[in-house]
Amino acid sequence: MYRRHFSLENDGSANDRETKTLEREIKLARNIQTQLLNGHEPTVENSSVTGLSIPARLIGGDYYDFYVLPNGKLRIIIGDVMGKGIPAAMLMILTRGAFRSAAESTKGPGETLTAMNSAMYEDLRKLSSFVTVLCADWDPATKELTYANAGHTLPIIVHPENLLGDPPKAKGVMLGGLPNTVYKEESLYLKEEDLVCFYTDGITEAQNKAGELYRLDRLNDCLLSNCNQGIDVKDIEECITRSISEFTGDCAQRDDITMVLLKVNHDQTDITSYNSPVI
Amino acid sequence: MLEFTFIEEDDALQVWLKGDLDIEGTEVVDEQLLPKITSYSKVNIDFKEVPFVDSSGMGLLINMVDEIKNTGNTVTISNVRDEVYEVFELLQLSEIIGEEVFV
Repeated sequence: MYRRHFSLENDGSANDRETKTLEREIKLARNIQTQLLNGHEPTVENSSVTGLSIPARLIGGDYYDFYVLPNGKLRIIIGDVMGKGIPAAMLMILTRGAFRSAAESTKGPGETLTAMNSAMYEDLRKLSSFVTVLCADWDPATKELTYANAGHTLPIIVHPENLLGDPPKAKGVMLGGLPNTVYKEESLYLKEEDLVCFYTDGITEAQNKAGELYRLDRLNDCLLSNCNQGIDVKDIEECITRSISEFTGDCAQRDDITMVLLKVNHDQTDITSYNSPVI
Repeated sequence: MLEFTFIEEDDALQVWLKGDLDIEGTEVVDEQLLPKITSYSKVNIDFKEVPFVDSSGMGLLINMVDEIKNTGNTVTISNVRDEVYEVFELLQLSEIIGEEVFV
């Protein structure tokens, strides 16, 4: 009896130790992901950017990143790895590595996606997984936004006169879908005070207790009613998260929620220098 | 929760899926549906009662179609709802699994 009791107690404490080790490792993994995901938001001329990702579980599979190019452009990426939790988080790290190395050596977002697909295709097929991403280059000098799409939702454009823009449709197969995929680029010019909202489907598919989805309409309404002139991107971000939270109420978050906001500020380039006489 | 019903006709199988095709359906698809459908030369999967497919569900579907095709059998998908088909189009699913799959 004593032996049995002792043995059970032993098993119990071994299980406790294993659980604690697992918990500790998940916390560490979460820290790694949070540190890698929430890097510094870059400072870009005449514009403001912000990014936010809220995982549905302890760690998530959504991804966004910024990369400042030597020519002053900002390369933005937002993506959603298939699945949730730890498996998705592992693939998200793979995606980040592929983006960082592709961003350095490719000319535009289309080339970046082609390089990422080439780098990740075999691994993703082996793992029966895939990733949707949208990659965009923002040129603050010309105000041109060029983008390419690998199965992701297009960004929402909001003009300051409370109108939604209509970004040219860019289609492309998700990363890991087909080998040797070439991604076509589309572009548009933004104006002062325009806002671009890149997002993942965790926002539009957020559910309330009645089983209703938040949907694109609510996100559009939220953006239109909050994009007042001069408002900071962080404040818009907060408005969106508050709106989703009010909609979902006590309902548990089903999917990771991620967004990147880009706002064109008033042109602050010091043009007096151009007009000054050369002495 | 995902459920399915089926009817066998000789070497063909008609499957009706019911419910969201998402991560919660992994066991139903991988452990119950997949072992069954790979032994028929013709399989049709009806999506009329599938209101929602997320990225995990998309992965399950792609794997299911790949597995059936790998055995040399044919698979078709029918009655996909408009809202679900929009997601399929966004992901260019027909390019990945073949346009002939959708009937």
